[in-house]
Amino acid sequence: MFVAKNRQYAILADEDLMSLMEGGDEEAFAALYDRHSRAAYSLSYRMMGDRQAAEDLTQDAFLKVWRSAGGYRSERGSVRTWILSIAHNRGIDQLRSLASRRRTQDRVEQSAPRSQPSEAFAETWRNRQREQIREALSTLPEEQLKILELAYFSGYTHVEISNLMDLPLGTVKGRMRLGLKKIREYFDQENVAIPR
Amino acid sequence: MSPMNDKSFEDVKDAYVLGALPNDERATVEAYLALHPERQAEIDDLVGITGLLALAPPEYEPSADLRRRVLDAVESESARPRAARRRPASSWLGRFAGLRSVALGAAAVLVVGLLSWNVLLQGDVHDLRGQVEEARSAGEAQETREIAFGGTWVEQGARAEVTALKDDRAILVVEDMPSIPEGRTGQVWVINDEKPEPSGLLEPSSNMAATAITTPLNNADAIAVTVEPAGGSDEPTSDPVLVQEL
Repeated sequence: MFVAKNRQYAILADEDLMSLMEGGDEEAFAALYDRHSRAAYSLSYRMMGDRQAAEDLTQDAFLKVWRSAGGYRSERGSVRTWILSIAHNRGIDQLRSLASRRRTQDRVEQSAPRSQPSEAFAETWRNRQREQIREALSTLPEEQLKILELAYFSGYTHVEISNLMDLPLGTVKGRMRLGLKKIREYFDQENVAIPR
Repeated sequence: MSPMNDKSFEDVKDAYVLGALPNDERATVEAYLALHPERQAEIDDLVGITGLLALAPPEYEPSADLRRRVLDAVESESARPRAARRRPASSWLGRFAGLRSVALGAAAVLVVGLLSWNVLLQGDVHDLRGQVEEARSAGEAQETREIAFGGTWVEQGARAEVTALKDDRAILVVEDMPSIPEGRTGQVWVINDEKPEPSGLLEPSSNMAATAITTPLNNADAIAVTVEPAGGSDEPTSDPVLVQEL
């Protein structure tokens, strides 16, 4: 019975798992954790640069996900994006607070779930998305990529980046804008939808 | 900083979605968005792009121990009676019931004080105040509540005002704020059915601060502000420094 239920969770879409979590369903949470913890941990590790700090950040982010399930709005983006943005925002807060810059049971059984791709397919699909994203980033001029990384992964403000790189603030803002625009253009040119 | 208008919003929106604005500028952008919800879609669109960056790092497998810790923490929270998971707002707010009459008594003083906004407010909060006034004159503001907050900050001379907007959002402006210790921040809570929802951070600019209240006030029982660790908390960890029952 338990195995059968787990299988059901595995085929539920993220949005359905979120609905179940709102009702306090821990197994739905576990399924969501299993699906997205690797991405969240990898982001955390990239931001914190330390295994223990990355684990603490990932745990903090997923507890926030559990407590805030009712705050998710599907029209604003995918569940994965939401989870990763929670990890990112908390990572930024932690980096900035550091001195160092080292810087639903019945519903499951009764509802007709929106199906999720099989795990093997999903994994392949996620890997393909990552490749595309890395390809998109590789098209950026080094000076734009560096600024995006300093801001997004290291938690520096635009003014701090300006000082750090000895660039006018306007140049930093311009490179941020151009960098994001170029990523969008990559997906437009490849005629590929931007992964959500 | 120059006033937040369409042009300056354009100027900083990329930095905003990258998380590259300091807290005071971030609050100014969020207050601007509260007044201009038609621009939220641009931000959501950009967030979709920046969100891709989150998938770029090399992948690492989190440990099985981390999974066990996270699931244990969730199980532990679930095991507690729901009422015990959060500090009951009624008792949390109850300590301040006596302040209500004091606060109401202070309302007249508050109204007079608010008349001096144009003289007193400077910088970002001044800009925000200007936007609030603009929204009011344009008929965008549904209701202005010159709220007589109670709490220790009021006792220390702070004044606060909430402007509710037509789309259920609202802006809280506080002046003459007492100083907040380093590493701490003011956090706004909207209490609904005894449950405090995190609803914005108050980052002071000199001794003033403003923030968009991110939880609708329609059915709210009260608004409160507590001092929390930088970045805010999931639930209040201290008694309110400002509180108003609605």
